[in-house]
Amino acid sequence: MNLQKERRNTLLSLRNVGAYYWRRKNYFRRERLWALKNISFDLHQGESLGIIGRNGAGKSTLLQLLAGIIKPDQGTLINHGAQAALLSLQIGFAPHLTGRENAILSGMMLGIQKAEIEAKIDNIIQFSGLGDFFDDPINFYSTGMKARLGFSVAFQLDPDILLIDEILGVGDAEFREKSSTQMREKIRSNKTIILVSHSARTVEQLCDRAVWIENGTTMEEGDTATVLQSYEKFLKKHG
Amino acid sequence: MLTPHYFDLILYKAYADLRSEAEKTYIGFLWWILDPIIFMSIFYIVFGLLLKRGTEDFIPFLLIGLVVWRWFQNTVSHGANTILINRGLMRQVYLPKIIFPIVVILIDLTKFAFVFILLLIYLWIEGFPIGISYFALPILLTIQLILIIALTCFAAALVPFLPDLKILIDHALHILFFLSGIFFAGSSIPEQYQFYFYLNPMASIIEGYREILMYNQWPNGYALLVIGSLSLLGIVGSYRLLEHYDHVYPKIAI
Repeated sequence: MNLQKERRNTLLSLRNVGAYYWRRKNYFRRERLWALKNISFDLHQGESLGIIGRNGAGKSTLLQLLAGIIKPDQGTLINHGAQAALLSLQIGFAPHLTGRENAILSGMMLGIQKAEIEAKIDNIIQFSGLGDFFDDPINFYSTGMKARLGFSVAFQLDPDILLIDEILGVGDAEFREKSSTQMREKIRSNKTIILVSHSARTVEQLCDRAVWIENGTTMEEGDTATVLQSYEKFLKKHG
Repeated sequence: MLTPHYFDLILYKAYADLRSEAEKTYIGFLWWILDPIIFMSIFYIVFGLLLKRGTEDFIPFLLIGLVVWRWFQNTVSHGANTILINRGLMRQVYLPKIIFPIVVILIDLTKFAFVFILLLIYLWIEGFPIGISYFALPILLTIQLILIIALTCFAAALVPFLPDLKILIDHALHILFFLSGIFFAGSSIPEQYQFYFYLNPMASIIEGYREILMYNQWPNGYALLVIGSLSLLGIVGSYRLLEHYDHVYPKIAI
């Protein structure tokens, strides 16, 4: 089992990665805000890697880095040719357009080819359960209906590495159950996934390995049980 | 940087924004025609009727200037802000930033096309026939387009670093509005200022349209060649700039 894992292809390698934001201090000066200071871990093909840490630990910045939205300002991030994408719900939605138009626009922004999203449109209608409302402008939708559409589109995304930020299920109770089940299935499948969460329970249920980050720094990387143990010990101490 | 997928996205996003804008009002896309007509009527009333700037053919002279100027001003002004206002989007998904100004350029180009066709129809009705010089019209339109692309992309690349620039750009456009020969001919200003007047590329471009559409004359090829070449350089420079800061824009917090 261990040997098998060793032979798996490494898709991403992060070594001492740091990244900063610009924050304006006064009229003439901006200061660097290091959201990530020293992050190191590897991602292997087919695994579900959990990234755990408290609020403000740098999880969102790390996701932006992994999704190629920003680049590291120090250290190295080696991508061995894999395409990574962040599962973003309702991205680019425009209120006056129909569900169908928003599905195409949002899908294309996520990186899905136009022909591919058009071919999947029936799946999206079916999964969202929007029926005839699909061709109505989404400003007539309830919040729950928008959530259904957003999830159904984003769920079609199938990159080499899928990055998931916290959210598993969305919408009203019924759809939350359905979307959460689908998402869990996808995470447990052979797909390569990075799941970011502050909940130890979620990571425990869904991830093969875990990385714990605190204050922009990797504290521990390893199998889920061991890392979570250290994380929870730390939480008890620091609240 | 721009794969075929992103070209599809640019087209679809421009279509979506145009449709979205039309859906926001009762008469929708009719506003793209009505809005400039109202705008131009105001100038017609003030300069054509009240001030009686009685030169011959002043109304077509004025309308040509206003129509092509508005295309220029609207695109640059809308485009300058576009990367800044899409910050939320670019923090959730990677998109090459040049997409944003190009979408704005396409949207304003579409609106301009409607108004420009109306202008041509008006001129034909007024008795300005299609002459041989119309062959130069596509070239002139292309040169104005690449000038617009260059300036819009350049402004869009800089404004996220210095949002105050957007206000200065709008004021600069306002000054140029009065200095581009929309209300007067370049030949009517004192000789010693003419050199400076023609440093403004829109002055030569507007004059070019009048040569073609009203007087059946070839526009000043030399001036257009200079404007076209410099604009192409500007496009290359702006593209480089946008590419260089492609991963920096999502990091700027204002």
